[in-house]
Amino acid sequence: MEFMRIKSLWTKLRHLIVAGSSVVLAGCAGASIWVEADWPQPLIEPIPVRMGLLLDDEFLDYVHYEEIPRQATYTIQIGEANELMMDGLFRSMFTALEPVYVLPLSQGDSDRIDGVLRPELDRYEFDVPVGERDEFVEVWIQYLVRLYDTDGQLVTEWPVSGYGKAELNNRDTSLNRATVVAMREVGAVISTRFSEQPDIQYWLQERENATALSAEAPINN
Amino acid sequence: MRLRCRQKRPSITESVNPRAILLASISLGILSGCGVTARIEPYKETEAFLAEGEQVVVLARKHHAGHEAEEDFVSCVSDGLAGPYYQTGGLNVHDSTAFEDSLYPWFEPSMAPLTTGELAELLQKPKVLETVESSGVRFVVWLDGSTDRFASGGGITCAAGVGGAGCLGMAWWEDDARYDATVWDLREIGTAGTIFADFNGRSVMPALIVPIPLIARPQAAACRALTLQLRQFLTSPSAYGAGPELIAN
Repeated sequence: MEFMRIKSLWTKLRHLIVAGSSVVLAGCAGASIWVEADWPQPLIEPIPVRMGLLLDDEFLDYVHYEEIPRQATYTIQIGEANELMMDGLFRSMFTALEPVYVLPLSQGDSDRIDGVLRPELDRYEFDVPVGERDEFVEVWIQYLVRLYDTDGQLVTEWPVSGYGKAELNNRDTSLNRATVVAMREVGAVISTRFSEQPDIQYWLQERENATALSAEAPINN
Repeated sequence: MRLRCRQKRPSITESVNPRAILLASISLGILSGCGVTARIEPYKETEAFLAEGEQVVVLARKHHAGHEAEEDFVSCVSDGLAGPYYQTGGLNVHDSTAFEDSLYPWFEPSMAPLTTGELAELLQKPKVLETVESSGVRFVVWLDGSTDRFASGGGITCAAGVGGAGCLGMAWWEDDARYDATVWDLREIGTAGTIFADFNGRSVMPALIVPIPLIARPQAAACRALTLQLRQFLTSPSAYGAGPELIAN
């Protein structure tokens, strides 16, 4: 009789341990990170160009999902950070920036805008340390910055990469920080090297020449 | 007749329990094994100092090397400089993040100037000099280095039974906190000097039923010493640079 009572208690305890472990493991197994930060405005001279910015849904809703066997499942939401970073970045880089939603541009838009930028998040990779000796969370990110003429013709496609790392304190916070560092790095490269890209340099020169020509042309009434 | 016996005075070794002597010797041995040895080399090559209204900013070198100064360490030095010290007040310390953000992207890991030549080039870029001047920052302290565990050994075995639980053994480890603080003068556009700190700490954890951690904190000691040296560096109106100074505590 006593034996049966102990067995029943043990069974209840076992169920409790299994249920408790499941709750703990479920909490540990999944990581959902919403990348957020304050994006500073770059301290640069704006390029004298009126630019349109086309951000498509894939870019605005970008989610990186990765399942790492025997470790965890990661869901990293980068869409909002993409929008905030790129909008602030390009707004400081050009004399004028306005959102556009379709390419080619209409005649009215073409009169106001010189070109259209369409960024794409091409690759996102990360490494969260497992061993005791690893101290940093690392992130690699690559964007494709596409520049179009107002008629929809692709001028150039420029891949820009960034790397970020953060000390591993809290996994989610560190992953967010490393992603932000990588994105800031991308922003730094875009803001300082945009006009140095050969195709872009040529395109900017053309815009400059066209502006100079139209300024010099006599006004016929 | 009074018999005067010569009373035998017990020697110290006889009056004290030999086990206590043994225990004290072991404890002394363990305690002497635990501690921090330090080496700090300050070198100030100019007579520049932090005048009233001027600020200093502490930044970590982040050039994607294997190691970089830990955020805690940077905060420790920054807070230490800003805090009061005995009768003197804190220095004017500019917030690191605010400084990097106001000069974005020029102080990002891949863009930050590595030499004073690069700094001079950077200050010639549009808006940069104005932003630096408006921030009030005169000195930039670049912190480079890290704290690493370079040796460990020993072992502790723990067991639990019906009668109780206990541990037996001894573990030890050694940490090395090695940092460089390079001070740049933004007004003179040059290096004002360097302070090198190397703090080596050995921690031990003897376990006789209960583990007793005797932990050395070389990183905290390095932070305190570096902060003290930086404070002297930034407030002293003269150049100095004696040879290595050896301290043991």
